[in-house]
Amino acid sequence: MAVDITLLFRASVKTVKTRNKALGVAVGGGVDGSRDELFRRSPRPKGDFSSRAREVISHIGKLRDFLLEHRKDYINAHSHILSEYGRMTDAERDQIDQDAQTFMRTCSEAIQQLRNQAHKETHSQQVREHRSAILDFTQDYLRRVCKLYSEQRAIRVKRVVDKKRLAKLEPEATARTREPGSSEEVSLDPSQDSGEKPVAEEHAEKIPAEAQPELGSWGDGKGEDELSPEEIQMFEQENQRLIGEMNSLFDEVRQIEGKVVEISRLQEIFTEKVLQQEAEIDSIHQLVVGATENIKEGNEDIREAIKNNAGFRVWVLFFLVMCSFSLLFLDWYDS
Amino acid sequence: AGQWMVGAKMAAASIRERQTVALKRMLNFNVPHVKNSTGEPVWKVLIYDRFGQDIISPLLSVKELRDMGITLHLLLHSDRDPIPDVPAVYFVMPTEENIDRMCQDLRNQLYESYYLNFISAISRSKLEDIANAALAANAVPQVAKVFDQYLNFITLEDDMFVLCNQNKELVSYRAINRPDITDTEMETVMDTIVDSLFCFFVTLGAVPIIRCSRGTAAEMVAVKLDKKLRENLRDARNSLFTGDTLGAGQFSFQRPLLVLVDRNIDLATPLHHTWTYQALVHDVLDFHLNRVNLEESSGLENTPAGARPKRKNKKSYDLTPVDKFWQKHKGSPFPEVAESVQQELESYRAQEDEVKRLKSIMGLEGEDEGAISMLSDNTAKLTSAVSSLPELLEKKRLIDLHTNVATAVLEHIKARKLDVYFEYEEKIMSKTTLDKSLLDIISDPDAGTPEDKMRLFLIYYISTQQAPSEADLEQYKKALTDAGCDLNPLQYIKQWKAFAKMASAPASYGNTTTKPLGLFSRVMNTGSQFVMEGVKNLVLKQQNLPVTRILDNLMEMKSNPETDDFRYFDPKMLRGNDSSVPRNKNPFQEAIVFVVGGGNYIEYQNLIDYIKGKPGKHILYGCSELFNATQFVKQCTQLGKF
Repeated sequence: MAVDITLLFRASVKTVKTRNKALGVAVGGGVDGSRDELFRRSPRPKGDFSSRAREVISHIGKLRDFLLEHRKDYINAHSHILSEYGRMTDAERDQIDQDAQTFMRTCSEAIQQLRNQAHKETHSQQVREHRSAILDFTQDYLRRVCKLYSEQRAIRVKRVVDKKRLAKLEPEATARTREPGSSEEVSLDPSQDSGEKPVAEEHAEKIPAEAQPELGSWGDGKGEDELSPEEIQMFEQENQRLIGEMNSLFDEVRQIEGKVVEISRLQEIFTEKVLQQEAEIDSIHQLVVGATENIKEGNEDIREAIKNNAGFRVWVLFFLVMCSFSLLFLDWYDS
Repeated sequence: AGQWMVGAKMAAASIRERQTVALKRMLNFNVPHVKNSTGEPVWKVLIYDRFGQDIISPLLSVKELRDMGITLHLLLHSDRDPIPDVPAVYFVMPTEENIDRMCQDLRNQLYESYYLNFISAISRSKLEDIANAALAANAVPQVAKVFDQYLNFITLEDDMFVLCNQNKELVSYRAINRPDITDTEMETVMDTIVDSLFCFFVTLGAVPIIRCSRGTAAEMVAVKLDKKLRENLRDARNSLFTGDTLGAGQFSFQRPLLVLVDRNIDLATPLHHTWTYQALVHDVLDFHLNRVNLEESSGLENTPAGARPKRKNKKSYDLTPVDKFWQKHKGSPFPEVAESVQQELESYRAQEDEVKRLKSIMGLEGEDEGAISMLSDNTAKLTSAVSSLPELLEKKRLIDLHTNVATAVLEHIKARKLDVYFEYEEKIMSKTTLDKSLLDIISDPDAGTPEDKMRLFLIYYISTQQAPSEADLEQYKKALTDAGCDLNPLQYIKQWKAFAKMASAPASYGNTTTKPLGLFSRVMNTGSQFVMEGVKNLVLKQQNLPVTRILDNLMEMKSNPETDDFRYFDPKMLRGNDSSVPRNKNPFQEAIVFVVGGGNYIEYQNLIDYIKGKPGKHILYGCSELFNATQFVKQCTQLGKF
């Protein structure tokens, strides 16, 4: 196990100090050492990069605290069984969602800015590596906090969907036998729906349509206080049929919903992978462009070389011809 | 009660886990490390020297360092630029040059705050040197914490450790056994070894009972270690073995047994040719600190005339505890390894095909009415396939790794006919009748390198009861020289044998039989890559090497002439005495075997096999340095020149 010898170190510092004083060796600053330290340290460039990075991190920390604080209310309010009234209205939840999103966007922009700045400033290799690692950490932190948020959101969306489904089904069961007015509720609910289940809506609309002739016959028969047994039987049969239809619809809808959730998850994974590949593809693109440039330049150089070669040959020929002419001339001159 | 359970579990925790935990705590500014998924990132810079690098590299990968928040990791003696606003964690040995460099860093004010961690305890005077430099640079408040980590040993496996890698020359077999060593040099060597062992026990958190053989270097180490442990225990205020720092050790009711043996009791094992995977890799390839370096020769195409010759690629692989295949098969005989790689490859291909099949199924989407129902299954399948992709990729990487390593090993085996050597040596060591004469093998030109022949002959020389006659010896020597061997190791072994004979009877190696199962036809039939034609499938029968036997005797408190006169030390007893009578009559549950002078994987594997047959018991194996046969022969050559 490790042994903490910091105290021992401080003791040795004291010993060395007293020894130095006894020997009369000046220790940089002496008694005013501490004050000098402060002065010495403040002009040192604090490095606004790291202070900015720390700012971003504290922002993200605030976001995280904010989300965690309201998380319980956010989720808890959905279970109607537990609490009589939701402590958070939907409007408040939407507000939270929006705030969180804008916050996350600003944070990621800030990180991007820092990255660009780090790129532009030329520093030694080590400092650069260090800075990019810091930015990676910050981004990872942001991603983790965003996951908190998206988890919450997913739960909320799921609960809303469940609630809507429940709300639709209950009135259905009771609508046929007693209040026709409740079918109005049914028709209202689908319209309120965020439009996630067009199939269900269609069917839901058909029901009010079907309910109309019922209403009609019902309305006609309203004068009579008693129903004939055949009509009761007919209504019961109709009931059963509608319940069966509703159940199958319900199942189908649930399946589709499950699939949609899965597909969205898959999409997330795929987008992640595609984004990862984007960087690689970019670099490959750069390499290819560079390679084509190099090849073009190479071609140019080869052409130059050929030309030079040809030119060289011409000169050699010329020289030889001149030499032979001069020889001939000298020979003629001499003879 | 929960604490007690944790304690009981930790008592058996491997030394690797403990060292990793200690390292992680150090990296976390010496505060216990707690994983928090929404924690704020804290960044730091890690500075180490070569010792620190050797300690950290088998335990933590670069990714794990990143996870701990380390942005940069640098060598102490490299050029480092000032990085303001970042705390720096130092992990160095307290040597003169390191201290000087650290003082320089303080003067240049490279970092914002300094967390100094010394691998082994720092002396008071050196601490004052740092204090002086800190004062001069007005940097005293910047030195945030100073710690003695007591981590001066390298853990390679869960239950195996080595003392050092950087200065193994200092504590090598040669250094300990050379005839011209002075007393002071010996003292230095012993002190180094004892320091590391002490750190080891501090990290393990237990005070062992020490037993060692008489009259050897091991005895010197035992005496010093006992003294050091005793001093530390007496000093109640600063003892490292009491209080919260100990934790788990208090809950284990049994103290471990430390068996200190000297390399000289068994010189045949380091020379032995081996047949298990890990030992083979260590023997044949370049393998140290869990990293194997392969030179891959590029393909066999003819290079066009005039072109530059293709460079051989150098590849290095890390064989880590995460690698499940390695953990399972590092002790298996080689043909088994080859077979398992094939199996893994096949299962991987099956999984790959599954994933590919999904592609074709997805093509049916929307065309079929039954597609909707199929779709729901397929999305589930697709999700699981996508999430299992990283696993598959990792598996493929491991399979590739092991295929390459095993192929390289196989090439060596085939080129040098190592299976023949292995079989022959086993026979020699177990004193069964030899079917081929030694001279034949030595004079055979295509069986093995000269070094292999030298090894074989040395093993023969070591294990025979009576020395061969002069004429025979001359014959052998001539054959060896013809084969190109250097005869110096033989010189040394002769001296050793003479000395060992005076001390005690040479150790016997027990009975063993090897059953060659002929050609490995099964492998060939499955069309494997590992065409092991001509390589015999040798089955290892359990045998106990001398070290294992000694351990067995001591652990089970058996009476045996070999171990009866071993010395007994108990640092916890008030009065130090040299009694050879053990006070404790119960068999030990935990034992640590330490070989002074060097060890190797063959012994390690043998110990592991031995302890597998005894559930509930644990063994740790350590040595002052880890060498393979080549290095050992080199050391013997140097020794033989005296």
